[in-house]
Amino acid sequence: MFWSSITRKTTAVSALTGLLLISACGNVTTGGNGNNGDDNGEDYPTQAIRLTVGQDAGGSTDLIARAVANGSQGVWGVPMTVENQPGANGAIATQEVANRNPDGYELVLLNASLITITSMVVPESEQVTLDDLDIIAGLSQDDYILIANADSELDTLDDMLNADRTIDFGTTGVGTAAQLAMLVLIAETGIDGNEVPFDSGSPALTAVMGNQVEVATVQVGEAMPQIEAGTVKPILLFSDDRIDYLPDVPTAVEEGYDVPVSQYRALAMPAGAPDHVLETLEEGLQEIFATEDYQQFNEDNFLTPHEISGEQVREEWTDLAEHYAQLVDEHGINLGGDN
Amino acid sequence: MDFAPVIEGFEVVLQPQNFLFCIIGVLVGMVIGVLPGLGPAATIAILLPMTYGMEPVTAIIMLAGIFYGAIYGGTVTAVLLKLPGETSSAITALDGYPMGQKGQAGKALGIGAIASFIGGTIAIIALTFVAPIIAGWALRFGPPEYAALTLLGILLVATISNGTMLKALVAAALGLLFAVVGRDAFTGELRYTAGNLELSDGLQFVPIAMGVFGLAEILYNLEKRHLAQPKPIKVDKVLPNKADLKQSAGPIARGGVLGFFLGILPGGGATVSSMVSYGMEKRLSKDPKRFGKGAIEGVAGPETANNAAATSSFIPLLTLGIPANATMAVMFGALMIQGIAPGPQLVDTNPELFWGVVNSMYIGNLILIILAIPLIGLFVRILYVRSTILAPITLLIVCMGAFTISNRFFEVMVVIVFGVLGYLMKKFGFDPAPLVLAFVLGSLLEDNFRRSLMMFQGDVSRVSERPITLTLLSVFVLVLILPLVFKIVAHRKGADSLLDVVAGETTQQDSSQENTAESRSHHTETEEKDTAATASGEPQKKPPAKPDR
Repeated sequence: MFWSSITRKTTAVSALTGLLLISACGNVTTGGNGNNGDDNGEDYPTQAIRLTVGQDAGGSTDLIARAVANGSQGVWGVPMTVENQPGANGAIATQEVANRNPDGYELVLLNASLITITSMVVPESEQVTLDDLDIIAGLSQDDYILIANADSELDTLDDMLNADRTIDFGTTGVGTAAQLAMLVLIAETGIDGNEVPFDSGSPALTAVMGNQVEVATVQVGEAMPQIEAGTVKPILLFSDDRIDYLPDVPTAVEEGYDVPVSQYRALAMPAGAPDHVLETLEEGLQEIFATEDYQQFNEDNFLTPHEISGEQVREEWTDLAEHYAQLVDEHGINLGGDN
Repeated sequence: MDFAPVIEGFEVVLQPQNFLFCIIGVLVGMVIGVLPGLGPAATIAILLPMTYGMEPVTAIIMLAGIFYGAIYGGTVTAVLLKLPGETSSAITALDGYPMGQKGQAGKALGIGAIASFIGGTIAIIALTFVAPIIAGWALRFGPPEYAALTLLGILLVATISNGTMLKALVAAALGLLFAVVGRDAFTGELRYTAGNLELSDGLQFVPIAMGVFGLAEILYNLEKRHLAQPKPIKVDKVLPNKADLKQSAGPIARGGVLGFFLGILPGGGATVSSMVSYGMEKRLSKDPKRFGKGAIEGVAGPETANNAAATSSFIPLLTLGIPANATMAVMFGALMIQGIAPGPQLVDTNPELFWGVVNSMYIGNLILIILAIPLIGLFVRILYVRSTILAPITLLIVCMGAFTISNRFFEVMVVIVFGVLGYLMKKFGFDPAPLVLAFVLGSLLEDNFRRSLMMFQGDVSRVSERPITLTLLSVFVLVLILPLVFKIVAHRKGADSLLDVVAGETTQQDSSQENTAESRSHHTETEEKDTAATASGEPQKKPPAKPDR
């Protein structure tokens, strides 16, 4: 019995050590491949690709990463493993991947907000730029929606404008896209609002359902089940155009306010990858986009495909960053932080 | 209510493949949960890909099984190695580990399993009948209610330490300071990060707890070995006997009810439940000095509360579509992958899923206790292993566990730094428990208090609009004052001079909580004679005669 317990314990330990070793070996061979990648270039990919995600497992960014990874085996013939390295809205993970070998075996899933919004809040040392990355392609667009408690007398933006009282509104925390959207809207419309920041989308949504705050801006995917159930009312979208999932909800832009805020996501890798690697990945991604599984995934999670080229992603995000900085400046908005 | 869907739910669970995956889930959860650092949330996230090809019901049943198993797995390491994998097992370690050191590991693990089973079952039965009704009630818990609840929690755990009051306060102050590290959730300001990006999200609970409890214990034992050859721990293979069960009955019943209600609250509730249960049992105990030295109630109460809360935290997810904690957020993700959006309509649109999951909890809990009891004999043998072998292996597991939290070396460094801190604290007679608890409750209180003030636009008097908050604050005041009242009554009975009592009371009213706690510890000193026998680890058949009150 004594030995059996020891063996059990050590079996567990060695199993785990084994796992770690495997992943460590993965790194080593990855490095090797990168060095002579040019010689046998046609062979890429020959081994598992690692996709690093800077957000927690189970969140929408992570789910998108896993949906892409799911198609890897069918398209490239190798598995893609998703590794979560949460921290600082993905800044840590992105910086780390940017410093890895550009051999095509190290990818990272990018959130636009890290580039366009977080950079306005954090000190310069923490800012992440697109300079060190090659962007493979844009993936999808995740929209923000202003919702109100079902019992609230506010049904439309006009109701909010005419409310003639202070409206408590929840945000998803300092330096988030949803907070930016809300604050710019308040500034442009002159609504008398009282901001209550929550840690993320889910507590903000819960607060609206429980009438702790009257309205809040959250991601469409989070709000949809509640909208369908009638526990919250959709008021306004912050996307450029109306979306298929909620065709009757107007956008801020069409109401005449300059608040185009969405979350975009893209797939990237360290800068300097060989052309054929980039091409292989680009072509493969298009194939994944075309699969029924992936399209169904987007639909189930209320994501609008925004499958643009890496160059377009770079342009769009750079423009957005400038636009947001200008809006924040113009309205004297404080997103928090020293910068 | 209509019971047909409930019965159909059982049919779903008892389909061979669902039943099988329920067992696999519990087993895998238990094995992985034994690795510190890998709490239920991480375990589920890692095993999530396994469910891609499954039917939604099967997938969620297996994940739920992993959840229960992982929670119990955390108890095992907390008791045997003082390595808590999450907040709730940190509480279990406070008395579970001393029990193990006294050779009663089997008892601690046994009562843990029984308490888990009963706690889970209480919560499931309540869930089956009242889930839809009370789910809406949970929504009324806003930031002010959380702030008041946390305040109450802090008061209850303020007496958790057995050391001197001053040292406990120093440790608690340290915990509060560590909770402050990271980005301010309201202004975005970086606090005490020293320009380190890794610290911008603040410190995490698990590496801190593993450091000051687990690693510190290893270091401290290492030192002890140099001073004197330790005598091997005598490991009794006994499971809890009738007397133990009798002693635990009250804590289990209270813990189950407490855990069920706190677990429903979206956010923070389950975290506080085991702490509140522990604080409550210590307060209700006739000889609170035993706590922290291996009191079986200190394991039974929190373990029940913890499991009841874990079960009832499914209620907001399944009935409202709100993930109540990190684990439920991963569950939410798992359901989304299956193309099911958890929300208020789930019970109508997918009744077989809703009731399948609920009913799998009955089965899962039963399987858990059936698997756990025979394994206890095996688990406790870990304590037979010489520390020259066990310590390095434990250290290795700790480091791996810390690494898996965010796949970075940083958390391993945090464990080491806090391990050294915990070792020094232990060496200089500071109990690390207040540090860990203040760390958890401090940030909860700060966030919710500040959020409340923002909701009230700075006007504290608006708290009068919130009946639940007022009730909680009243309980807070009661808990603060009642011991004083009892004291007066005790003194009167003891025919003490009434004048002394009144004089004593007025001075106490002037000062705050600190004084109250001091007077309480003074009060308990009179009982020390009686408790000495228990503290030294001798099994007791009957509690000593009550001191005259």
